[in-house]
Amino acid sequence: MTMSRLPTTALSLKQFLQRQKVLGIYRNMLKTIRQVPDEADRKYLRDWARGEFKRNKNATEQDAIRMMITQANNHLEELQKSLALARS
Amino acid sequence: MAARVLQQCVRSFARPSLRLCSGNLAVRAAAAPTAALHRPLSFAADSRRTRWLGQSRSPSVGVLCRQYGDLPPLTLETIKDRVLYVLKLYDKINPEKLQTTSHFMKDLGLDSLDQVEIIMAMEDEFGFEIPDAEAEKLMTPEEIVQYIADKKDVYE
Repeated sequence: MTMSRLPTTALSLKQFLQRQKVLGIYRNMLKTIRQVPDEADRKYLRDWARGEFKRNKNATEQDAIRMMITQANNHLEELQKSLALARS
Repeated sequence: MAARVLQQCVRSFARPSLRLCSGNLAVRAAAAPTAALHRPLSFAADSRRTRWLGQSRSPSVGVLCRQYGDLPPLTLETIKDRVLYVLKLYDKINPEKLQTTSHFMKDLGLDSLDQVEIIMAMEDEFGFEIPDAEAEKLMTPEEIVQYIADKKDVYE
């Protein structure tokens, strides 16, 4: 009765939230990359983003993941700022 | 009186095959700006109107329509075809193994990052935003088709 019926691969709440955050950042990044004017640049950035995310797919420590999330957010903000400058 | 004249004009526009049309249109176009010719014009209109009314009553309602610009209406079939087409273009999916019921993660071996990319491609294809909470639940092409049909009010 006290045995948990969750599968062993189920994530804890914090891990689940972090996973959602990472997926949200990936989505935002792809949306921002879509606004880049040059097609070749877009492809390069998409491949770069995909590579970065996939490379660190198997990280398990929460702190390391948190650092990577911060880095990704910084990259995203940089990209958005450059796009805003380029547009003006 | 002017309203009756305009009505005749509109009916004559809608039925270009009538031989009376061109003559009347020319007369009307010349007479429309000048209010003085209204009286003789309305006599002509009255004399010919009876002839027209016999022919033009029923079909004119269908022919007098405005035209708006819009995309062709969606059906379940077309949504399914477009979803499968977009999925076949995705380089990580093997087109032979693709079915409407193939699960992205279990059958096609994709991971959640790929699923995010697929949903974004669907957003591009169909032109509307899919929020994160609902996007992460769409795991087979069948579910995507159902979701789009729900959002776009497509029933069959």
